[in-house]
Order: sequence, then structure tokens, then C-alpha cells
Amino acid sequence: MSDEYYEEEDFQTKFTGKTFTRILGLTKPHWKWVAGFLVSIAVVSILDSYFTFLSKRIIDEGIVPKNAEALTSILIVYGLLLLVQAVFAFCFIYLASVLGERIRYDLRKSLFNHLQKLSLSYYSRTPVGWIMSRVTSDTDRVSDLVTWGLLDVTWGIMNILTAMVFMLIISWKLALIVFITLPILFIVATQFRKRILTQFRMVRKLNSKITGSYNENITGVRVIKALGRERENLTEFGGLTRDMYKAGYRAAWLSALFLPTVQIISAIALGVVVWRGGLQANYGLITIGGIQAFISYVTFMLWPIQDIARVFAEMQHSMASAERIFSLTDSIPEVKDREAAYDPGTIFGDIEFDHVHFSYEDNIPVIDDLNLVVQKGETIALVGPTGGGKSTIVNLLCRFYEPKKGQIRINGEDYTKFSLHSIQSRIGIVLQTPHLFSGSIRENLRYGRLEATDSEIEEASKIAGAHEFIIKMEKGYDDQVGEGGNLLSVGQKQLISLARAVLAKPEIFIMDEATSSVDTLTESLIQKGMDTLMKRTTSFVIAHRLSTIKRANRILVIEDGKISEMGTHSELLKKGGKYYHLYTKQFRDQMAKEYDPFSDNIGVQTLPLAAD
Amino acid sequence: MSISESVLEYNLRNVVTKNRMKGLWRLMTGYHWHYFFAVVSLGISATAKTTTYLLIKYFVDDYLIKKDPIVSLPLIAAGFIFLAGIEGGFAFLSGKLAAQTSEGTTRRLRNYLFDQIQHLSFSYHDKVQTGELIQRCTSDVDAMRRFFADQAIGIGRVFILFFVNFGMLLTINVKLALISIIVVPFVLATSIWFFKRISKAYEAYQEQDAVVTTTLQENLSGVRVVKAFARQEYEMGKFEKQNWDKYLRGKKLNLMHSLFWPVTDIICGVQLLTGLLMGALFAINGTISVGSYLAYAGMVGWIIWPMRNLGRLIVQLSTGMVSFGRVKDIIKQHRENLDEGEFKIPTRINGEIHFENVGFKYSEGDVVLEDINFHVNPGQVIALLGSTGSGKTSLVNLLPRFYEYTSGKILIDNIELKDFPKRYLRSQIGIVEQEPFLFSRSIRENIIYGVDSEVDQKEIEAAAKAAAIHDVILNFPEGYKTLVGEKGVTLSGGQKQRVAIARTLLKNPKILILDDSTSSVDTETEAEIRTALKKLMENRTTFIIAHRIQSILNADLILVLDKGKIVQHGNHEQLMEQTGIYRDIYNIQTRIEQELEKEISHV
Repeated sequence: MSDEYYEEEDFQTKFTGKTFTRILGLTKPHWKWVAGFLVSIAVVSILDSYFTFLSKRIIDEGIVPKNAEALTSILIVYGLLLLVQAVFAFCFIYLASVLGERIRYDLRKSLFNHLQKLSLSYYSRTPVGWIMSRVTSDTDRVSDLVTWGLLDVTWGIMNILTAMVFMLIISWKLALIVFITLPILFIVATQFRKRILTQFRMVRKLNSKITGSYNENITGVRVIKALGRERENLTEFGGLTRDMYKAGYRAAWLSALFLPTVQIISAIALGVVVWRGGLQANYGLITIGGIQAFISYVTFMLWPIQDIARVFAEMQHSMASAERIFSLTDSIPEVKDREAAYDPGTIFGDIEFDHVHFSYEDNIPVIDDLNLVVQKGETIALVGPTGGGKSTIVNLLCRFYEPKKGQIRINGEDYTKFSLHSIQSRIGIVLQTPHLFSGSIRENLRYGRLEATDSEIEEASKIAGAHEFIIKMEKGYDDQVGEGGNLLSVGQKQLISLARAVLAKPEIFIMDEATSSVDTLTESLIQKGMDTLMKRTTSFVIAHRLSTIKRANRILVIEDGKISEMGTHSELLKKGGKYYHLYTKQFRDQMAKEYDPFSDNIGVQTLPLAAD
Repeated sequence: MSISESVLEYNLRNVVTKNRMKGLWRLMTGYHWHYFFAVVSLGISATAKTTTYLLIKYFVDDYLIKKDPIVSLPLIAAGFIFLAGIEGGFAFLSGKLAAQTSEGTTRRLRNYLFDQIQHLSFSYHDKVQTGELIQRCTSDVDAMRRFFADQAIGIGRVFILFFVNFGMLLTINVKLALISIIVVPFVLATSIWFFKRISKAYEAYQEQDAVVTTTLQENLSGVRVVKAFARQEYEMGKFEKQNWDKYLRGKKLNLMHSLFWPVTDIICGVQLLTGLLMGALFAINGTISVGSYLAYAGMVGWIIWPMRNLGRLIVQLSTGMVSFGRVKDIIKQHRENLDEGEFKIPTRINGEIHFENVGFKYSEGDVVLEDINFHVNPGQVIALLGSTGSGKTSLVNLLPRFYEYTSGKILIDNIELKDFPKRYLRSQIGIVEQEPFLFSRSIRENIIYGVDSEVDQKEIEAAAKAAAIHDVILNFPEGYKTLVGEKGVTLSGGQKQRVAIARTLLKNPKILILDDSTSSVDTETEAEIRTALKKLMENRTTFIIAHRIQSILNADLILVLDKGKIVQHGNHEQLMEQTGIYRDIYNIQTRIEQELEKEISHV
């Protein structure tokens, strides 16, 4: 739905030569195809006009002089040319449509690949729906412009030009009469097309509103019933469908008016041709076949014109689409490798935050002069209120963002000297809301290390405590997780993402603990997995569980982008400060949850603390 | 022809018949004449078009060849313009009438489906998936629109063109006319053959398109994972695979398309040439006039070319029929009748409630509640305690008759629940859910959502103040006009809950159902919510689905539920005297404090 929403935000742009050249540039690698379909369409359209000319000859050379021989020979030529035309018709349809598909493919590929390079900051300020629209509908529109648009215009122009030539050959006087109507036809057609297009956009906009209403009506049906809003809702919705009726009707009405109007204009030209032609025929200036040919040319003239008009009307929107695509491909990643960036071989070592400052675009400081030295292999727990800067510290460490001021050093080296890949490929991360990709469990685990063998995968899942539940699944490791992993429970997703991180054999491990509760068994499995992993890594945990917090070598209370308290669990507890308050509240909450006989846990569990 | 509003009121339940054609016909109720005249206009337009060829015949034969016309040249020329006018005018009229029919029919269908959805029972909504339902109301309805706007009339157009032109050809020369239609069955067969395959290839293509979109979507929403594992290359490879596959499927689809046109071109071309040859030979040996030949050459195209489209139309028609079936599935469900009930409505109920041997089971036979008995005086507070699946939510859902109890009796003010019209009953009951649903409209509109009369700003603000949300609202960029949801501000769980409290305060019900969970809010707002709730509960019979002990200490009656039965009941003091779950829960609280003390002193 958000898709359609962003779709409608688009705007029209002025024709700019630069964008246009760039659009045409898209066809450059496939210029042979373009040449192929342009030639084919030219042949097809010349033949079309020529067929009308042949019909004239059938009359003038065959029927009127009663010459059956000439007739047959003309018809044989006609038949052969029809075959030729069929071959070329196949070529142009095939080449143009496959090229369209190809350009769509090219555009999506380059957009996708570019998106992989963009920094996290880009994603935090750009809604996913907006990006989706660029990669899907905008690429469609641009590829349509460079294939069908180009084709229709070529066909139209060729058709008109050849018809003009034949008309001039038959009778230049009549031809001139017809030529006068051409620009009129063209202007009328373009104006119509523009208005029709606007109406259809209106329809689309309303349509997405209607979809939204249905969505809310269904998801909120319980509240609607409870509040007895049925009548008012129907009245409101009725207003929406009334607008839709009007817009839809108007769009259809305009479309229905379009063709007749153009037809009548060309009929006037036709009338004049018949009148003048009839007079000329009296003096033998034009033949019967000639007049017939004129009638055909004039009657069919409106098709190429209406095609060209359509392309011109849609052009503006296609150009806007193209500009948005180019603006995306032109955006430069904010975090990228410096020149001479290198792979240090390992990032397992002391980590140092040296007077680190950070703010997002709004320049409101999120991290304010952070100083911290973490020993190799240490486990750090980050606690504190939401928005205090815990996630930002982690994001800086992963180099999703870079400090605005100050340095982060790994093994004494400023980490911006390293290549991004060398850092990020050695970090294992478990997010608060685990993200899985559709596919099998095995595929998701292998995401941690692509070259891992099946037995390594199993080993990692055993360490993470995921093995147990996986083998109980119907197809075990080959069970599908569904879109975004929605076929699995939250706890299962957490276990899998933990196993994934284990498999990656990271040197730095980052865990953003989930706030949502999972059952106690899963909980203790996760705990065990984390323990194993933390033994061999330098770890940072955004901690919510008491047991995790207590296990850390050091606890940092982060508030307003600063470290407000730091120390071990017992040190901080004795201090009786912020940590003390956080801890006691957390303790009460967690215990209440664990003791609650009505919670989904089976029976009252022993406290994890007691196990310590 | 204008459509009266009464047409909108037509009960679409009537379209549910065994006979699909009858159903479609009824769907058009109120527009039958529109559609009829749309077809007639199409016929007139086609006839005018064909007449143009007869005029050519006259022009050539009588004016150009015999040079002895009854009608003068300018008049002939004017005739062409006049015929074009008729042709265009009626084509427009036909399009306009068809648009009125299709747009009007779908408008009514949309409204009906919307109303249907909000009148279907909870049990129906429990079963269906939102996405599926939305799809039926949008894409399938649009397929119905296209059915009336394009397909049905398109098929009519092909046939009309065929019969008008064929009829005219017969008047020119019967033999020639018959020769011209030999190819029709071939064109038709080829067209259907192709379009069946094309639509299959198209489906395959669309499927892959959906896969590409999903891959992209997952990549974008999982961008942190991708970056954290430095899997950009891998992702590119994955996308490349899907994208390329889509390209290949597109290629296949395009191949079918590009073959269809030339192949039918050739078939039609053979027909055309045979016709032209015969016609020309007839013209040479004088069987027909030169003008007749010209007219023939013009008309024959209008028989053959439209036939090519018939295959596409027929294939699309069948998908339209499938859509109709899917829409009908929703229409045929039974609506809840909100106004049915014998009891004469009092202006206000008092809120005394009796449950007598109440039982509730699903139609599949699963027992949810059994043997529930209790009595509540107006204004009392009843707390329900129990695990998930114990039946506490089902119990309160019986009160507004979201579900109908299957045995026993529920009485409000000594009147059986089933005697109240649902609309009235629900107007007397307020519900504040654990995670309240807000609508994506302004905060103001959300607060007055449950009131059907005009409310002035003072009352709204009073409610908001009582719900302790007024100050929060004033801090939003546009105050009460601030939009909620995706396009506006995102409210926290606690804020949503307070808006819902304000909403319920304005509704002013006599019976209140609270799902009391403050687990997702911090201590500060918890206190505020508590105060707001206290205000809300004044003078109302209140059911609390309790999650924590503090909120039930003051309840007049506590019901402890397990597996659909009441296992303990009484007030706090009474329950504390019994051994049982209640006392266990209560004792946990003190145990936690002891443990905490131990924990802290330990370090």
C-alpha cells in the first residue's frame, strides 16, 4: 500500500535534454536491437502505405481496364509483400518487447547494486516504499519510453511520411489539403491525451485511497463494531466511491470522445478530398483508384497521430521517472572506503573510542565526546533509556556511520583506514528484531558464512541451541522460513540469527537483545549460545535481561549520548545511582513476568539468577 | 439518463444465484437500459461506418463512372462528413453509456462490499486473511469493471461489426460474402489458442515479478543484516538470479506475443487476397460494379480484423468470471442484523448483569466457556483472571454479542441480551483494548469516532484532559488535527491507550470492558493511565481483563478462570482466605521483593 502512496507523489518535469540523452544512453549497449526494431518498424510502416498504393493499382490497372493478368501480378506482389511484412512485424514486436524487458532488467540491476553500496543513513531517511517505487514502477515507465515510445513515434512518423509521399505522387493538390489537417489533428490528439492521462492518475490516486479504506475497515473491524460506526463509515466510504465514480466516468467519457473527435476532423478532410477529387476526376486529373487511395490514407492517418500524441503525453511522466532513477543512482554513499583502504587481517584487538562525536543530519548531538577503551575479548553491556545513544554506539562500531569528530581505533589504527568489507565481514550481529530472508533455514544460516559446509552449519546451530527445534521441523534444515521468516516464532528467529552469527566466526560480536519475551527454554538456550560466542570475541550487548547484564565484564549506562555510569554489576549496584534504579525496576518486572502463573510459560520456572 | 440514488440502494444479495449470467444481469440492475442502448448505439455506429463504404460505391459508380449522379458532388462530400458524425456520435454515446454502467455498477459493488465487511460476524473475520479480502474488494472488483466496460461490450462489438458488414456484403454479392468468412473459424481458433498460452505465460511472468519485488523488499528491510555480514555481493547475485529469470520469462511471453500478430496477419492476409482476387475478377467480368468492389474491399477488413481480438476478449472474460465468483463468495455471507430485537429500547440501561449457566462453543464444537454464573450490580467492578485461552476474552466478547452464547442466559437489567438490538447494545458498552486500534485520520477524529452526533471542541478537550492526553496532543505539530499513523505521528502504546480512553469517555457507555495491560509503558505513563482509567470507571459496570494484581485489589468481584470455567470467585479478602491460584499469585509479589533485597545485599 505504501507503494501506491509514494507512486502518487510523483511530479511532472520540464523536458530537459540532458535527462533525455541519458535515457537514450540506456539503449547504447543494445544498439543493435534498437537498430533492428527501428528498421523493422520502418519496413512495416512503408509496406502499410504501399499496400494502399497497391490497392489503387488493382483498380486502375486491373479492374478499370479489365486486365486480369495485371491484376494477378499485382496480387502476387501484394501477397509476397504481406509475407515480408509479417516477418518484419515479428521482428519489431519481438525486438522491441524483449529490449524493453532487457532495459527493465538492466535498470533494476544497476539500481539494486547501487542500493547495496549506499550507507545506512540513506536508508534511515528514505522510506522503503519510496525506493521500491523507483525500482519497480519507474523502471517500467522508462523502459516503455525507450522501447514502445520510440517505436510508436518511429512508426507514426514513417507512416505519415510515406503516406505523404504516395499522396504527393497521386495528386499533389489533394495532398496539400490533407497536410493542412495534420497539425490540427496532432494538437487535438495531444490535448486529449494529456487530459485523459490526468484523469487516469486521479483514478489511480482514488483507487489507492479506496484500498486504504478497505484495509482499515478490515483490520479495524472490531473497533468499528464496538463503537457502532457502521453507518458513518459507509457514508464516508460512499463519498469516496462517488468521487471514484466521477473520475472513472470522466476518464472513460474523455476516452470515448477522443476517437470520434479525431475521426470527425479527418472526415472533414475526407469530404474535401471527395469534393475536390470528384471535380478533378472530371478532367481526368485523378483516377478512381487514386481517390480510393486518398480515402484510405486519410481514414488511417489518425492512428499514427494518436500514437504519437500518446507518447508525447506520457513523455513528461516518464522523464520524471527517469530523473528520480538517476537521482538514486547518482547519490553517493556517505560511508565508503578511503583511498588505499586495506584489510588489516584481523580486527580482534583493543577498541578505542577517542573523543567521538556524532549527530545525524539535524545536527543534534547523539553521541557527545565519548571516550572508551575496550580490552580485547571483553564483554560490554550497554544499558540506559531508549534514545540515549546505545544503538548509535553500536552503529559507529560497525562503521554503518562514521564519527563526525574524533576517532575510533582498532588495534591502535584509525578504523577508517581499513576497508569496509574487512571490518563488516568480521562482525557478527544479532538484531533486536531478527531479520530472516525467505528461503530454507539452511540458506538463512549459511548467510553467516557462504562457504560453510552442512556439518559446520549444524555445529553452529548446536552451539546457538537452535539445532533442537530445527530437527523437529518437518523438513529439518530445509524447512522454509517464509517471507521475512514469518513462519517461525520470534524465539526461533532469534535462535537462527544467533546461529547465523556463530557461523560467521566473528571477531567482534554485537547483540541487541530483544525486549519481547520468549519462553524460558528458548531464553536459556539463547543465553548459552551467547556465552559460547562471547568467550572468543570482543562483545557489545545492548542488554535488557538481568542475566546478560550481570555477566558482562563492564556495564555502561548510556544517557544523552554520554557514559553516565561505568563499572561492574556489583560496583554500580553499591553506588546506588542510575544503574541501581534501572536494575531494581528491571528485576521486579522480569520476576513478575517469570512468576506469573498465567503467562504462556509452562509452570513456574526457576530463576535464571539462581542458576548463577 | 441520470441515475437515481435509489439505484445505489439495490440489494446486491440478489446476485447470488446458481446461474452466473443471471447474477451478472442482476449486478447491472438499474443500468440495464444503459447497457442496452450502449449496444444499440454501437450497432448504429457500425452501420454508419459500413454505410460510408456504400457511399463510396455510389460515388464511384454513379458519379465517377456513369457521371450521372442524382445527388450533387458537394452533397456526396457532405454525406461522408455526416456519416462520420453519426458514426462518431454514437460511438461516443455507446462509450459513455457503457462507462456509466460499468462505473455505476462497480461503485455500488464497492459500497456493498464495504458495508458487508463491517456487518460480517467476528467468526468470519477470525477465519479470513486481510490481504485476501482486500484483494477481492479491489482487484476482483476492478476485473468486474473491466468486464462491463471492455470485455462484454468488446465482444458485442466484434459480433455487431461482423453481422452488419456481413449483411451488407450479402446485398452486394452472396458468393463474395460467403467466401470472405471462410477464414473466420481459423482466426478465432488461433486467437484463442494463442491467448490461452499468452495468459499462462503472463501469469508466470507476474509470479516472477512478485518474487523480484519480495527479494528487493527483503533486501531493503534487512539492510542492516546485509551490511553487518558484508553480504552485498551475495545479495547482488541473488537479485541477479531472480531478475534474470524474470527477463527470461518476459522473453518467452514476448515471443508468444510477437508470433501471434504475424501469424494471424498471414491468415487474414490470405483471406484478404482471395477476397480481393475474387472481387476484382467479378468486377472485371461485370458481375459487380467497380464501386461495389471498392465497398467490398473496405468492408471485408471489418469482418476479419476484429476477430483477432476475440481470443483475447474470451480469455479475459473467463478471468472476469472467476473474479465474479470470488466477489460473490463475500456477498453470500450472512450479515449481522444490528437493529433486530423485540425489546423496546430504554434511553439508558443501568448496568446490572446476570450470567446464568452461560456456555459458548464454536460451531466446530470446541467448548470455550462452560457453566458461567455470576451477578453484578450497576457500577461494580469485575476482574477476570486467567491464562491465555482460559476464556476471559471470550467471556467479555459475549456482552456486546460479538459472539453469540450457545447456552444459558445473559441478562442486562433483567432483559435477555438477545432481545436488545445489537446497535443499541453496543452503544451502551465501551471497550478499551490492550493495544487499541486507531484510524489513520486526525487525533480529533479518532476521539469522536464513537459518537454519531456533533461534538464541540470543549467536550473533546475535556475528554482528552480526563484521559491525561490533552497536553501530549498539544505538543504535536498540528495539535488535535495531527494525523495518526504512517502519514502522521506515531503514538506510543501508552498514548494510544489514552486516546482510546478519551474516545470511550466521549461515547459514555454504561458498561465498560478494559483490557488492562500496561506492560508496554514506562512507570510514569503507567500512573497517568491509571488515573485516567479510574475516571473512566466511575459509575460504570466494569469488566477488567487483568494482567497484574494491583489492578484488581479493589474489584468487587474477581473471577479466576481456567479452561473455560470459573475456578475461584469472590473479592480480594475472600480469595486470600482460600488456598488456590489467587493467593499464590498474590504472594509472588512479596517474594519478588524479598529476592530483590537478597540480591542487592549479596553483592
